[in-house]
Amino acid sequence: MRTLRIAQEGARALAAHKLRTFFMMAGTIVGIAALTVIMAVGKGTEKKVMKRVNAFGTHAIMVTSGGGKGFSPPQAGITTLRLEDAEAIRSQVQGIDVVAPFAVRRDSPTKAGSNQLQTIVMAVGADWHDAWEWYTADGEPITAEDNSTMARVCLLGTLSANDLFGSQNAIGEDIQIGNVRFKVKGILEPRGTSPMGDEFDRRIVIPLTTGMRRVFNQDYITSIRVKVKDSRQIESIAEEIRQLLHERHHITPPREDDFAIFSAADIAKMARGISGTLTYLLVALAGLSLLVGGIVLMNILLISVGERTKEIGLRRALGATQRDVFRQFLVESLSVTILGMVAGSLLGWVVSIALARLTQSPVVISWESFALAIGFALVVGVFFGVQPARRAARLRPVEALR
Amino acid sequence: MIQLEKIEKTYTAGTVQTPVLKGISFSINAGEYVAIMGASGTGKSTLMHILGCLDKPTGGRYRLDDTDMVNLDDDALSHLRNGKIGFVFQQFHLLDRATALRNVMLPLIYAKEYPADAHQRAEKALAAVGLAERMSYKPNQLSGGQQQRVAIARALITDPSILLADEPTGSLDSKSGTEVMAILQRLHRDGRTIILVTHDRSVADHARRVIVLKDGQVAEDRPVAQPRDAESELATVVDEEVRP
Repeated sequence: MRTLRIAQEGARALAAHKLRTFFMMAGTIVGIAALTVIMAVGKGTEKKVMKRVNAFGTHAIMVTSGGGKGFSPPQAGITTLRLEDAEAIRSQVQGIDVVAPFAVRRDSPTKAGSNQLQTIVMAVGADWHDAWEWYTADGEPITAEDNSTMARVCLLGTLSANDLFGSQNAIGEDIQIGNVRFKVKGILEPRGTSPMGDEFDRRIVIPLTTGMRRVFNQDYITSIRVKVKDSRQIESIAEEIRQLLHERHHITPPREDDFAIFSAADIAKMARGISGTLTYLLVALAGLSLLVGGIVLMNILLISVGERTKEIGLRRALGATQRDVFRQFLVESLSVTILGMVAGSLLGWVVSIALARLTQSPVVISWESFALAIGFALVVGVFFGVQPARRAARLRPVEALR
Repeated sequence: MIQLEKIEKTYTAGTVQTPVLKGISFSINAGEYVAIMGASGTGKSTLMHILGCLDKPTGGRYRLDDTDMVNLDDDALSHLRNGKIGFVFQQFHLLDRATALRNVMLPLIYAKEYPADAHQRAEKALAAVGLAERMSYKPNQLSGGQQQRVAIARALITDPSILLADEPTGSLDSKSGTEVMAILQRLHRDGRTIILVTHDRSVADHARRVIVLKDGQVAEDRPVAQPRDAESELATVVDEEVRP
């Protein structure tokens, strides 16, 4: 109870000097706000990364034609990736579940009646469904028979179905891809956004053989999707595939690869990309603000101990023990950082939400950031409050009253 | 109630030793009204600090209500001050930003047991010094005399054994000073033990006994033959004011 009464004295002292209290708080506010934003952005990024990784497939390796280090779309005009490569991977690399070669054509003109759509057309084998774990929500999937008979059937993503047929049932209807007529045999499950940022659900899927011979008129493929059995082996399997393709394509470094290999790890790295730098900056800002804010807090408290010498002397004369005085000043310091923490958290939330709107990237406001903020507030309050409080407590009443 | 035996206080700065009190002995009984007088530099303030348990002597014994304060630690001295001594200072020493009521309640914060009726007690104490109407005023809204009366109310809130007043009229005009002295006089009449520290003979003459310090020693310890009567003086002042 005595502690509570002394805490009240500290709170009254702060309330009586609002401007001083605000200056003491400023560093904590900025520091905690920065901390909150970091956590919100970090969590948001992680969420985005997880979403991308899940969309890509945690067990997947993609081999695409064309070199390059970044995660670029398959390059048109590179003709070296072949069905035989997919066969070789399937037969020579261990630990693989599914190998699904496919060919892609971006911006393919398609239409149904008067509705037109320029979109990605993917020509796939029967394994493709398993490789992507992507099946039809409605109707039938692409089968091995479709491929062996070069059937002119297609699957629509939910968005492409909507673009071409509106709310009308598309299954059984005809669409045209280039000059070739296809029958819609199924609608794919919705899948969201690809790692490259385009809509999975606006794609059109046809049998691989039909695509290569009848639509694209090519004897090469654009990509191979490999699904491994154990996601922990993904790096070593990717490396094995790289070696195999080097051999098959007669590539010896320093000659550049004519293909690129990506796994979920690469996708995560890419998705984290810029936000990593931003996080480091904000961490530095938060750390600096808390440090500088703490030093300012300590200084103002030390000055205030000097200014309030008489008050301290009076309190001692009226019966305050050294511990009482120490507690009062520590309460003042802690109240400042805790209030600063609350204000900083609120500011951080506002900034995070604004940032989310501005950058269109997700932020996640979590209780962890609040818990961390409380932790920091307590640490800063105690660390920078102890010295002034100790100085106040050690004032000799006789000298303080002079 | 108070027994001082050969109290010594020597300040040490480096190798230089300055004796300020050189063996002071006297006793004060409950209910006495004693003035401690002396010019500045005679050790009057130092003695007051020791009497008020704000400082410890370097030699001798000081018993307060049968407690030997020389052996007490800082915490025990704090509790002693809180429970047994009421301070009135020349500079009032009120908290600027707190109301009269809060100022009066301040010692209770540090009391061993916080009384449930703290508010009522503070109100009563303020009413007793004639400030019932000014409870929510802050010090800067009060005159010097009123501020000193708040300080007296604060000193009495813990019902201390001794009221220790250090130049209580030193910062006041003569009428406010007389008012304060009248309050002390009334408290004495009600049985309170009062120690008044002053350099001013005319102030000291309100007490019933004067102890004069000189060069760190008791030079005189005598009863006041004809104590001044602050209450009747105050009545005269009021009369003069009322007269056209």
